[in-house]
Amino acid sequence: MAAGPYNYSYIFKYIIIGDMGVGKSCLLHQFTEKKFMADCPHTIGVEFGTRIIEVTGQKIKLQIWDTAGQERFRAVTRSYYRGAAGALMVYDITRRSTYNHLSSWLTDARNLTNPNTVIFLIGNKCDLDAQRDVTYEEAKQFAEENGLMFLECSAKTGENVEDAFLDTAKKIYQNIQDGSLDLNAAESGVQHKPATPRSPISNDQPPSKEGCAC
Amino acid sequence: MADKEQGDVSSQQNNPLSRKLNKILETRLDNDKDMLEALKALSGFFSANNLRSRRNLRSDIEKKSLAINEEFLSAFQAVKEQLDSVYGDVQAMNDCCSDMTNRLKAAKAQTHHLMSQTTKLHAESQTLQMKEQVANAFLEKFQLKSDEIKTLRGPRDGKLHEDFFKVLARVKQIHSDCKVLLRTNQQTAGLEIMEAMALQMESAYERLYRWTQNECRILTSDSPDISPVLCQALEASQDRPVLFKYSLDEYGTARRSAVVRGFIDALTRGGPGGTPRPIELHSHDPLRYSGDMLAWVHQATASEKEYLQTLLRLCEASNASFEELLGHITEGICRPFKVRVEQVLVSEQEAVTLYKLDNLLKFYHHTIGQIVSSDSAILTTIAEVQDLSHRMFFNSLSCHANRLLDKVDLPPADLGPTSSLTQTLQLLRDVLACHDASVVPVDDKKQDYKQILSCVIDPLLQMCSMSASRLNTVDMAAYMINCIYLIQSTLALYQFTDTRLEMLQAQTDAHVDTLTSEQAAYVLNRVGLTLLYNGVQQQAELQAPLSHLQGMDSITVKSAMNKFDSYLASPDSLTLPQCSLLLGTLVRETLKRRSVELICQAYQQMYAAITNPKHEYKDTQAIVPRTPEQVSKLLA
Ligand SMILES: Nc1nc2c(ncn2[C@@H]2O[C@H](COP(=O)(O)OP(=O)(O)OP(=O)(O)O)[C@@H](O)[C@H]2O)c(=O)[nH]1
Ligand SMILES: [Mg+2]
Repeated sequence: MAAGPYNYSYIFKYIIIGDMGVGKSCLLHQFTEKKFMADCPHTIGVEFGTRIIEVTGQKIKLQIWDTAGQERFRAVTRSYYRGAAGALMVYDITRRSTYNHLSSWLTDARNLTNPNTVIFLIGNKCDLDAQRDVTYEEAKQFAEENGLMFLECSAKTGENVEDAFLDTAKKIYQNIQDGSLDLNAAESGVQHKPATPRSPISNDQPPSKEGCAC
Repeated sequence: MADKEQGDVSSQQNNPLSRKLNKILETRLDNDKDMLEALKALSGFFSANNLRSRRNLRSDIEKKSLAINEEFLSAFQAVKEQLDSVYGDVQAMNDCCSDMTNRLKAAKAQTHHLMSQTTKLHAESQTLQMKEQVANAFLEKFQLKSDEIKTLRGPRDGKLHEDFFKVLARVKQIHSDCKVLLRTNQQTAGLEIMEAMALQMESAYERLYRWTQNECRILTSDSPDISPVLCQALEASQDRPVLFKYSLDEYGTARRSAVVRGFIDALTRGGPGGTPRPIELHSHDPLRYSGDMLAWVHQATASEKEYLQTLLRLCEASNASFEELLGHITEGICRPFKVRVEQVLVSEQEAVTLYKLDNLLKFYHHTIGQIVSSDSAILTTIAEVQDLSHRMFFNSLSCHANRLLDKVDLPPADLGPTSSLTQTLQLLRDVLACHDASVVPVDDKKQDYKQILSCVIDPLLQMCSMSASRLNTVDMAAYMINCIYLIQSTLALYQFTDTRLEMLQAQTDAHVDTLTSEQAAYVLNRVGLTLLYNGVQQQAELQAPLSHLQGMDSITVKSAMNKFDSYLASPDSLTLPQCSLLLGTLVRETLKRRSVELICQAYQQMYAAITNPKHEYKDTQAIVPRTPEQVSKLLA
């Protein structure tokens, strides 16, 4: 009974951002369903997915908000950065323009999340190496200059997709262990579900009969 | 010799003496042990070989023999006595044995009864044992063990252990099994056990309820810790719908206040160290402020739904009650949300901002509507404020439109648009553009467009007509064409404007018709053919040939035709100034083409009349040197 998907000690909130068509929804789908969605419609506003993972023996529920990349939704999606513990910033390695827009995405992420939010840069569609338009080295350097974690992934083959989500969680968890992330503060993007039992509630009080017909 | 010897032997044998002697001689004393013994014994007492002793030998021996016999006798006497005693013993034993046999017989006779009694008892005991087994089995099935009862009552700290549910299930099982008993002749037992189990159940459910209620009451943290035991407890509570409902109510109340608190915190406190900033910090930016609140509500609603699904994962709670509970949980934020958004709306004047807000609210109504049911308070609230925003937006648009009609500008000299027209069209563009950037389904968009267009375009056209009312026909037509042209080109960029565009086109066409005939008349007038043309038109009613009428004589007509010819050389020289003020190239060209057509027609009619001998023109070749075809070609 104690097992099952409902037992977890933390909830981490993620947000996925990046230009339209870079494969944000596909990454989420690949991560939650382990499947590639070949013809995925444009996201309208925001969508939401969850999965429970394990990091150093701790069960963690990821609550992932996938945002629309289309410009017209920007005003809506901006409101979802608030309180994200992790931000996955995605570009498409076969489209340079999506890489060039990263700095504007990064500015948004920095301004609209809290200082401890872990930002992870993902170069998606690395299965399309022949059409590559952004080199690994270049993106790696960008990530280092801005203190971001970085991986190239493919939502199609699933390559590195797990790692991107899990490494982000590990980093967040590490921040909690270090004490650099204050769980008690509101909107840290992390919620702790105490695994240790609370002080038990005494049952000795006289039974409250009010409202009870039995 | 042998015969002699034989004869000797037989004669010797016949002689007793000799026989005796022989016998004695043959006696081998060495071998006769008896003899030796006897002699030895004799030598024991025949100590002296004398007469007396020889005479007395016999009696001595006899005496001796007697003594021995006596001794023997006395010895045997002892033996006999002993044998007698043995005999007595054996006799006694025999008596004993027979006595015992008798007694055994008696005993046997007596035990026979006992035996049968034992067998009976044994059988009885077996039956009893069996009964015991049955009884045990019965108890096993129909009674709680003491530790089970203990589990059911629970420890002093009131914690609920998982075993509780097993025992509870057993109590229920027993209770229902009793129905079987009731159908047998064990009805009393059945009733009694049933009653006992009912009591146990009542107290167990009472305990379960109190525990669950307490447990639910404390689930007020941002993210509630919903333990597996709590899920089980709710599953078990389902048998008591009232208790189940109260427990869920308790949960709903706890979550509701948690959500409200979270919302107020997000509004006023923000994240750690103020990042993200509190939502209210952006209250000066209506879109961001409302958008942040709505996104918060969206996320909270999604999370609460997840928690509720976790809580009720073992239960078969109906969809309706699930929705109702979720509605209750999210209901608390309605007021703080509504108050704030309403304030934003009523203090906003800008039609564009209001429209953006309207679209934003519509979008969230749709998005959150996918999570909660349509009759939930939060969705109703969003619908209400969206309705308000809708009304505020159209209110603002109508105000703008009414202002247009309050103060109508005169058309400028170039017959171009007035500033209020350009401003209004800019507003329209802004409004329609923000719909373009919005997130609302197409159906809504169509409906909105219709309403927006009628709210703006109709007063706009009205304004144009009013401002044109003091102009002459030509100026008015040109001015109206220009105004409509601007409206058209604004609308043409957007979807769902086709009907409007068609209507506008019809109005333009009417004005173009006016302008066309004005242009043609202007040309005829300037070359001096108006009189002739009118004459040609009315020739049916005239009695005299045309050339006889005043102003239509050959000479006048000829000079007019000369002027017409120079017009043909540079047709643009006779374009109405208003026509060159037309903004749309297409309209300008249409106008030109159609006025030329009109002029050509006129020429053809005049040509036909002049060349007609009935009208008695002389030297027609000199008057009209060009055929209508040539004129058309030149003007084309
Ligand atoms: N070859 C390849 N194609 C991919 C990959 N990931 C996504 N795609 C394709 O890219 C297209 C866009 O993917 P989406 O996930 O819808 O993109 P998005 O970022 O969610 O787009 P928006 O919702 O509009 O912001 C889809 O047609 C996918 O099939 C990948 O790793 N490899
Ligand atoms: Mg998407």
